[in-house]
Amino acid sequence: MSSCRRVARPLAQSLRQERLLQSSTTHFARSFSRSASRQDEVTTTTPPPSSTTPPPISSTTSIDQLEAAATKPRMQERLLDPDTTTAHWAERKLIRMGTPPVGSRRRRAAIRSSENVPFEQLPYQAFQEARKVLQEDREQKVRAIATELAKIKRLEDTPADQVPGGERKKNLRLASLRKHVQELKILADINDPVVKRKFEDGFGDMNKPIYRHLAEKKWRGMPCRLITQRISQLAIVPDVLPKFEPVADVQLFFRRIKVEPGEMIDSRVSEVPPRLKVQVFNAGERLVSVVVMDSDVPNAETDSFERRCHYLAANVPIGPDQPSLPLGKVDKETQLAVPWLPAFSQKGAPYHRLSVFILEQKPGETMDIAKLRELYSGRDGFSLKSYRDKFGLNPVGFNIFRTIWDEGTAGVMERAGVPGVDVEFKFKRVYSLKGEKKARGWEAKRSKPKYRGLWKYSRNIHGMNRKR
Amino acid sequence: MSAFHTTPADHAKGGKSKKKRKGKGDEPDPRIINLKSSMPRAVPAPLRFARNRALRHWTIHRAWLLFQRKEREREAHELERMYQSMHNAAEELRQTSGPGTREEGFLYRVAMEKKGVYGHNAVPIEYARPQTETPAREPWNHGWTR
Repeated sequence: MSSCRRVARPLAQSLRQERLLQSSTTHFARSFSRSASRQDEVTTTTPPPSSTTPPPISSTTSIDQLEAAATKPRMQERLLDPDTTTAHWAERKLIRMGTPPVGSRRRRAAIRSSENVPFEQLPYQAFQEARKVLQEDREQKVRAIATELAKIKRLEDTPADQVPGGERKKNLRLASLRKHVQELKILADINDPVVKRKFEDGFGDMNKPIYRHLAEKKWRGMPCRLITQRISQLAIVPDVLPKFEPVADVQLFFRRIKVEPGEMIDSRVSEVPPRLKVQVFNAGERLVSVVVMDSDVPNAETDSFERRCHYLAANVPIGPDQPSLPLGKVDKETQLAVPWLPAFSQKGAPYHRLSVFILEQKPGETMDIAKLRELYSGRDGFSLKSYRDKFGLNPVGFNIFRTIWDEGTAGVMERAGVPGVDVEFKFKRVYSLKGEKKARGWEAKRSKPKYRGLWKYSRNIHGMNRKR
Repeated sequence: MSAFHTTPADHAKGGKSKKKRKGKGDEPDPRIINLKSSMPRAVPAPLRFARNRALRHWTIHRAWLLFQRKEREREAHELERMYQSMHNAAEELRQTSGPGTREEGFLYRVAMEKKGVYGHNAVPIEYARPQTETPAREPWNHGWTR
């Protein structure tokens, strides 16, 4: 028996005893979540009710059984599992195969010799007591949800003229009841460690309110603050829209590169259309319109800046569980209105802000792409505010990157067929309106002919030129 | 000098002790040592848990918070219930008449009496302060002259 196995043995034994004890009494340690208890279990869309038998435990057998039943080839097969192997040759072989063993050898030995007890059945007294408390609370919440749903049903069935307050009051009441049900649904699951684990691992089902709630809480932390700060400090709010508050998470990728909001992007990187990851936090699929616009196009004639549309697509379906939105892969006929124009900035111009906006369309309405093409294919002078007002859109998501002239911009502009590679913007020299001042100070005074005797001291002072 | 004084005699004298104070740099004041040992300033090490243990810890923490919240709510509810029931009882008394030929509200007045509450033969504290809930029938005597 190797040292790592020896270390893991007492733990395994104690666990085994606990298991026997538990299984002999009752299966009280039932998960109170309706999702799969472990991440390696398969998740079904319609999980069985909680009154059924607990999930099968101990997929791996204990050491003793293993040693008793091990024939040579089965043992070898078993040792080639990267999660449980402890043999040196197997480790080396696994590394060569490209699936290196997981964790330390000690850990692997512990995993191998333990019965694969599900997390929520781990025999720790305080933990089990805590789970009982939480389970009871969850049952209360589920019962409350049922009663609230019955209330909603009853209210929906009664005609509006029998409800005190009429149609308006009925709708208000229904809305507040539904909101309460949503809150209860979140509260029922918020204390579940399995839910927390699944969310942290990124396996959360965004169609469920609890995972959306957790995702929103996470987004409202740093990312949302960052985006709102960029909106204010890059002056998006008065320049592009008079008022704007993002409610959805938008992440921007160029190929594999993730763009931090407001980052300066090399023009060669932003030559291809970006890929967006839009996470909305309310239920339901909806159609959105995507706009990428440049709000700093310099105009030398008017000595000002203008706006330009770099990309426009509409009728793009988005839901909480389908966040991916590659701008290069939208439907050319039914969704794409203005194709991607690479971000560029001419030489000498200050940085260009390229803002990406996600605008939610009215529910159940599709936009006329032909009309959009006709309106906006000119690109120049694009106004997001007028676009929003014309089609009744609601801006929900935002991200931004900046671009400036760099060594690749000339090539990018050439490939995109944009004229103006050779243009360089320069600031006009502004001369002071004040008259010239006479030189003042000790040196200036002593350099007058009156002080000729002192010139040998005052002549070679650095910064004064008095070559005669 | 008391018998419990343990300072050596030569140190206890005025001049000598002054000299002792000057050369105090070699060891810190025992009062400071006392303070330091009784009030440890070092920040305790953070809890470093592996995944499962952290999750178990979190579960227990959440259950404890939930329990505390329920206790708080239960206590508040109980207080509210007691207050309401006292209120109902007082209202009932106010609307009953009797005993015998007593008029309506007599029992209420008797029940609200605070005789002896503030001590033997003492005055309720409300009467020593300006009253707002039971103003006088004539709030201000305008015709008063000295």
